[in-house]
Amino acid sequence: MRRLLLFLLPLLSPAQPVVSPTPEPAGSVLGERLGNYSVTNSWELGYRFRTVDGSLDKYRSDVNFGNGIRLLGGSLGIHSREGKGAFFDELLLEVRGLGNDPYQFSSLRLQKNVWYRYDLLWRSNEFVNPALAIAGGEHALYTNRQMQDHDLTVLPQSKLRFRLGFSNNGQSGSGLSTGQWFDSRGDEFTYSTQIRRTQREYRMGGDFVLRKFKFSISRGWEIFKDDTRYGVPLASEGASAEDAVTLTSLRRDEPVRGTTPYWRAHLHSEVAAWFTIQARFTHSDGRRNFLFNEFAVGTDRFGADRSRQVLLSGTGRRPVSTGSLTLTWHPGSVFTLINQTAFHNTRMDGDGQYAEINGSLAALSLVSFQNLGIRTLSNATDASWQIRKWAGIFGNYQLSDRRVRSIEILDLAIPSNVAPTEQTNRQRAGTAGFRLQPIKPLRITLGAEVGRNDRPFYATSDKNYHALNARAQYRTARWNLTSGYQSFRNTNSTSLFLHSSTGRSWSASGGWTVAKNLQLDAGYSYMHWDALTGLAYFSNFSLVDQDRSYYVSNIHTLHAGAQWQLRKRADVYVGYVRTQDRGDGRATALSVPIQSQYLLTPATTATFAAAQVFPLSYQAPSARLSVILRPNLRWNVGWQYYAYREMLNAWQDYSAHTGFVSLSYSF
Amino acid sequence: MGFCREIIRRFFWGPVLCFAVAVGQPSGMPGSSGTSTQYAGNLACRSCHPAASLQFFRNPHSNAAKASRGVSENIGCESCHGPGKAHVEAKGGKATIVAFSDLSASRVLDACLRCHWKEQNRANIRRSAHSQANITCTNCHSIHRSATPRFLLARQQTEVCYSCHNDVRAQFSQPVRHRVNEGFMKCSDCHNPHGTESPTWKMGRHPQLVDSGLQNEQPCLKCHTDKRGPFLYEHAALRVDGCESCHVSHGSPNARLLKRPAVFTLCLECHNGAGSFGRQADGIALQSATHNMADPRYRNCTTCHIRVHGSNGDRTFLR
Repeated sequence: MRRLLLFLLPLLSPAQPVVSPTPEPAGSVLGERLGNYSVTNSWELGYRFRTVDGSLDKYRSDVNFGNGIRLLGGSLGIHSREGKGAFFDELLLEVRGLGNDPYQFSSLRLQKNVWYRYDLLWRSNEFVNPALAIAGGEHALYTNRQMQDHDLTVLPQSKLRFRLGFSNNGQSGSGLSTGQWFDSRGDEFTYSTQIRRTQREYRMGGDFVLRKFKFSISRGWEIFKDDTRYGVPLASEGASAEDAVTLTSLRRDEPVRGTTPYWRAHLHSEVAAWFTIQARFTHSDGRRNFLFNEFAVGTDRFGADRSRQVLLSGTGRRPVSTGSLTLTWHPGSVFTLINQTAFHNTRMDGDGQYAEINGSLAALSLVSFQNLGIRTLSNATDASWQIRKWAGIFGNYQLSDRRVRSIEILDLAIPSNVAPTEQTNRQRAGTAGFRLQPIKPLRITLGAEVGRNDRPFYATSDKNYHALNARAQYRTARWNLTSGYQSFRNTNSTSLFLHSSTGRSWSASGGWTVAKNLQLDAGYSYMHWDALTGLAYFSNFSLVDQDRSYYVSNIHTLHAGAQWQLRKRADVYVGYVRTQDRGDGRATALSVPIQSQYLLTPATTATFAAAQVFPLSYQAPSARLSVILRPNLRWNVGWQYYAYREMLNAWQDYSAHTGFVSLSYSF
Repeated sequence: MGFCREIIRRFFWGPVLCFAVAVGQPSGMPGSSGTSTQYAGNLACRSCHPAASLQFFRNPHSNAAKASRGVSENIGCESCHGPGKAHVEAKGGKATIVAFSDLSASRVLDACLRCHWKEQNRANIRRSAHSQANITCTNCHSIHRSATPRFLLARQQTEVCYSCHNDVRAQFSQPVRHRVNEGFMKCSDCHNPHGTESPTWKMGRHPQLVDSGLQNEQPCLKCHTDKRGPFLYEHAALRVDGCESCHVSHGSPNARLLKRPAVFTLCLECHNGAGSFGRQADGIALQSATHNMADPRYRNCTTCHIRVHGSNGDRTFLR
């Protein structure tokens, strides 16, 4: 048996895709007494390293761990034993990756019983995206996003309580973007960008409980600022070698300022133990003031000197109102009937001034936009009936009515040339299913949904769809076995085109606590997706209107791991994750696809054949050892290997060894 | 008028009927076991359950007891487990006390909601997909042996979710993914496991625990603030059907979580002029005749249409 377990260890383990920080804390979990408080803490400080072969850009996009000293993880908990601390009764601090990790996180909770509760969440993300599949690899982003949320609740346990909050979301960094000059047949150019955006949100509100009614009201202001600067073309020649267009100078400023004040009101009542009523209303009035100033100098496609300046200014508005009323009837614990009526109304409009100066020719247009309005009404009824202790059924019926209106200006030179349109769509959808619990540890759920839309907005939107969802779970103190199946099929046909998409997935996973000191975990998942869509496009100025696109993805994912405690002195963890998309099984990107019967135009087969699949493999084995040196000190070492392989191209492939050595200490 | 009558017919009588049926129904105390009506007090519990009671001062539920000036029966162990005198006299046993491990899912929910009904984010819990599947509070939360001090989860949040949603774990194992496994994000940044309002996108389809952002829009826009707008020229796909028109949210083999490996197929699947779709059932606009798909340069749509999420300067998102 022991040999068998040793053999299985590399294959099975608690799936933990990232090997650090070490989950086992240093020190006593019971904490130490400090005056009237009890304190627990554990801090893990270490050195992280990496080596990368192959595409460093793709590695940084997918993984991005680097070298250096990090506070890999830490936690601090201070609790007053009697609930009578001088300034606080509870302090909880958790940190992860501080120093220079690409993913940093910290949270703090501070509270004093009766008086206040304060929550802080701070996060930082180094985002790298070479985006090789988009715009020919010319759109790149190297940005840092920092987010923080502060929430203060005054009198949190009272019937009357107040809330104050502040959030900040900032993104900054550099990137590459593209554009086309000087007309719609011009060449494309790549230029650099300096990204600087912030969004702040201030919010306040209160809750009031009177008998069985609770009323909440919130008022907030979102403030958005975008000072991203664009310019400095990488080269004066464009992407096409045959094109004569050059861009010798570019400057673009595009500042945006905006606010979104909002109101939210909510009424909730447990009128009786068997009846609940809930009403909600929100209104926000988003507004963005923008300015656009672009000045480009170069030569046009005929080789003549050109300069063009575009000036834009204006305001975009989006008032949004939503509301809902929910009535819930749940007599006893056997039957529940819920009805919710909801409405949502969005109107997007605005006005702008557009000026273009081409050489010495100037044109000025003043335009008012009434662009898009969406109104949705929906009514849903849910019912759930526990027929027996071990069997129950549930169902849902939903009716939604959506109206999309737009008034669009077709030609800036003729502002009166507008196109008002309206389209209404109704959806009827129903869900039915049952749940079984024949024995206490075993749960089985099966649900099916059927939906019909009479006029969906897009060829790829849901029209005639049905879905199936099944799940079985067996859970005891030692075993946790789960299996699930999901499918979704949508058919959306017209007289000339057909869009049909099918998604299927099934998965199984299991966890086994072999002994107190050994846990095994493994799982497998298969996800299939295919979509067949009618296409129309131009090829050499000829309309091709009977072609089709057929996309196939077959993804197999395996995870496995083991967690083993050795004589209460050391913890060992080994794990493995592998993902493989097999596509449709073809050998090369341009070989005749297996589903070639769907491509009706042989001349363009090659165009779409290469875009129909994207087979690849991605795997990440890992291992970690944590040794207790002293009761409050641990020594940890971890390793994780990443390998990314594309089956049809090798230009983004990489392999990387990452790891860390650290000490966990409890003060 | 006809439309208003239709709305009233479709959307008014349902709630009224529901309310009418509800009136006059008998009340019941959720979570009550009916085994005893006499309380024993916390000290009696402590003598037999020292492990649960000695560390209880760390438990958020202890705050109610610490802060209360009321009677201890309403705030101690017996506020959840019911009157315990019979349990003490019987020297233990699940039959004489409210044992959550033996309660049905709806009874557990009723018991917890006695206090937690006041939290706004739990207002839709009874119509949530979790409740439909009989997944109740104690399936995810462990009151006395929690792994997380703040929300009393049985394990770390991702592990709690992954233990049932193995397919979601597989999606977050893709090379391009949101950073949930790395700890930068949590499932609850986008989902509310306690149930959500009807969404304001994609026909308000029955909510699948997806939370809403600032303007009741998709949660993606909580972080991706530059995609929110409002823009003078909105890409209607984003507002009408949501971000999932083009992206998959958890993880994908494709760059930028796109549904397709090449962007032009994604665009052309909608922009094919197929009748009955679009603003007035006249089809989503075809690309320009100057776009020669036989030339690879025209297959990178976003090289020129760089503002695909919405633009203030161009109706075709060129600037």
